[in-house]
Amino acid sequence: MGKIPRSLRSAIPSTSFIKKAPSIPTEIPNPQQQQQPHYFPKKPSKRNSQLSKKPQETQTPQPHRSPFKTPSLNEAKKLFNSFISTTKSLQMDGLRLHNSFLKSYTSISTLDDSISLLNHMIKSLPSLSPDRSTYHVLLSQSCKEPDSSLSSAQKVLNLMVNNGFEPNQVTVDVAVRSLCSVGKVEDAVLLVKEFSSKHSKPDTFTYNFLVKCLCKSRILNNVYSFIDEMKNSFDINPDLVTYTILIDNVCNAKNIREADRLVGVLKECGLKPDAFVYNTIMKGYCMLNKGIEAVRIYKQMKEEGVEPDLVTYNTLIFGLSKCGRVIEAKKFLKVMVESGQFPDAVTYTSLMNGMCREGDVLGAMALLGEMELEGCSPNSCTYNTLLHGFCKGRMLNKGIELYELMKKGGMQLEAASYATFVRALCREGRVAEAYEVFDYAVESKSLTDVAAYTTLESTLKWLKKAREQGLAVYCWWEISTRFHWPTKKHQTEYKPLMATNGGFGETRRAMAA
Amino acid sequence: MLTQKMKKAITDNPKKLANLIDLVNLPSTLRDFVGQSQISRLGCFKFVWSYIKTNKLQDPNNKNVVNCDEKLKSILLGKQQVELVELPALIKLHFPKQQK
Repeated sequence: MGKIPRSLRSAIPSTSFIKKAPSIPTEIPNPQQQQQPHYFPKKPSKRNSQLSKKPQETQTPQPHRSPFKTPSLNEAKKLFNSFISTTKSLQMDGLRLHNSFLKSYTSISTLDDSISLLNHMIKSLPSLSPDRSTYHVLLSQSCKEPDSSLSSAQKVLNLMVNNGFEPNQVTVDVAVRSLCSVGKVEDAVLLVKEFSSKHSKPDTFTYNFLVKCLCKSRILNNVYSFIDEMKNSFDINPDLVTYTILIDNVCNAKNIREADRLVGVLKECGLKPDAFVYNTIMKGYCMLNKGIEAVRIYKQMKEEGVEPDLVTYNTLIFGLSKCGRVIEAKKFLKVMVESGQFPDAVTYTSLMNGMCREGDVLGAMALLGEMELEGCSPNSCTYNTLLHGFCKGRMLNKGIELYELMKKGGMQLEAASYATFVRALCREGRVAEAYEVFDYAVESKSLTDVAAYTTLESTLKWLKKAREQGLAVYCWWEISTRFHWPTKKHQTEYKPLMATNGGFGETRRAMAA
Repeated sequence: MLTQKMKKAITDNPKKLANLIDLVNLPSTLRDFVGQSQISRLGCFKFVWSYIKTNKLQDPNNKNVVNCDEKLKSILLGKQQVELVELPALIKLHFPKQQK
C-alpha cells in the first residue's frame, strides 16, 4: 500500500474522509475549517522544492493509509475531482499538497498512469503549475520501475525539459538514490555519467553515496576505474569522505595493505586524514586481531595532531580486549577518562568481554558496578557478555540470576550466550530450564525458531551421547570449559590425543606443558 | 554477524535446514495428535512442547521428566515416562529421511 503524505494527512484529520472519499465526494465532512491552517501559498512551496533534496523523505516519514485503494486511473481522477470541488472555494492550489497527492498515487500505480493523472490535474485545475519537485516525484518512481533499462527515467526527464525545467543537482540526487534503493547501481552510474556530460555534475553527497553503493556491489578495481573516470572526464575529485568509504570497504575485506596505500594516496592528494580515517583503519586491525597495530595507529594519530574521539578509544579497547591484552585495555580506559572522554556502554562491554575471556568474570562484574556508578547504564550486549562469561566460568547460578534479570528487562539473548547458557544448563542436568530458555529466546524474538531449536537439539544430542559413553566426551567438555574459549590449537592438537589415550589426565598434562 | 553466520549455515547445509522446516505429510497417529495433516519437524516439536506445558505433564518432583498422558503416549512409542532430553530424538522418528 502507498503512503499518505504528511501534508495531505494533516489537512485531513478525519479518517472517515480517507475511507469514503474514493466513492462519494458529497460525504466529505466540512474540510474547510481543518484545511485553513495548512494552506500553502505558492512562494514558500517553491523555496521548499529547492531545498528538499529527498522529497520522499521530507514528505512521508511514516507509513499511513493511502487515499488510493486501487491503481485504477479513473478512480484517481474521480478522487481528484472530488478533492478540488470541495476545496475550490478556498483556492487550494498549494503545490505541495498536490505533489503529495500525486506521490500517493504513483507509489501504487504505473508511471504512465501517473503521468496521465498529472495531465488530468493540470487540465482540471488551471491554476496548478507543476514545479521541479513535481517531476522529481515522477522521476523517483520511474527509477524504481522494474524494467531494466533507463527508458522510463528518460521519459520523465524529457517531460521535465519540455516543461522548462533543466535537470539540476537535486534531480541527479533523486534519481541516483531511487536507483540505488532498488539495487540498480549500474544504471545509476550510467545516469550520472550522462548527466555530468549533458546537464550538471553531481555534488559530493551524491557522488559519495554512489561510491558507497558501488563498494557494496562491485569489486574494488571497478570502483577505482569509476573514480578515475569521473576524475579524468568530469573533473570530480574524490574527497576525504570518499577515501574513508574506500578504506572502510577494504578494511572490511581484511585488506589492510590496500588501506595503507589509500592513506598514502590520500596524503598525496593534499588531504589530511581525520579521526574518522584513523578509526576506520584501527577497526580493520582489530578485526584481524592485531591490537598492537591499533595502538601504533593511535600513536601515529597523536603525532599528527589528530584528537582521538570516543570511537577511537572504543575501538582500541575492543581490539586490545579481543586479542587478550586486557591490562593495556584497562590502561586506555584511564587515558580516555583523563582526556575528558566519557566511556559508554560499548567501552565497558568490550572491556568486560576481555576480562571474561581471561576467566575474570568477577572482575567483569565489579566493572559493571563501577559502570553504573559512573552513570552509564548497561545494555543487552553487556548482559549477554556477562552471561556468556558466567557460563564459561562455571558460575551457573550467577548466570541464572543474571538471566532472570535480563528476562525481567525484556532483553534479547545473543546466539553465543544463548548457546553457552543452554549447554551449561544441560550439563548440570537442568534440561527443563534449558527448554524454558528456548521458549524465552523464541518468544523475545532473540533468535529465529530454527536457530534456537538447532542449538537446543544439538545440545541434547550431545548430552545423550555423553551419558551413554560416559567419560570421554565429558572430558572434552571439561577441557573446553576450563580453558576458556578453546582455540583452534585445542581442537586440532588435543582432541585426537584424548581420543587415542582416552584419558583426561594425559591430555591435561599435555596442555599444561 | 549473526545473520552472516546463519546464512553460512544455511548455504553450507541447505538439506539440514530443509528437513527441519519443510512441511511433511503426517502418519495417522501424529495427524490425530496435531490436528493438521501437514507440519514441519520444528512445528511438531513446538506443538508437543506447548502441549506438555499446557497440560502440566512435567513431573512435579523432576521437571526433566514428562509423565505422558494417553494422547502423548500414542506418539512417543507408548512410553509411560519420557525424558526431555530425548524428546527431539523421539519426534525425529516420525520424520524419516526422505529418499530421493
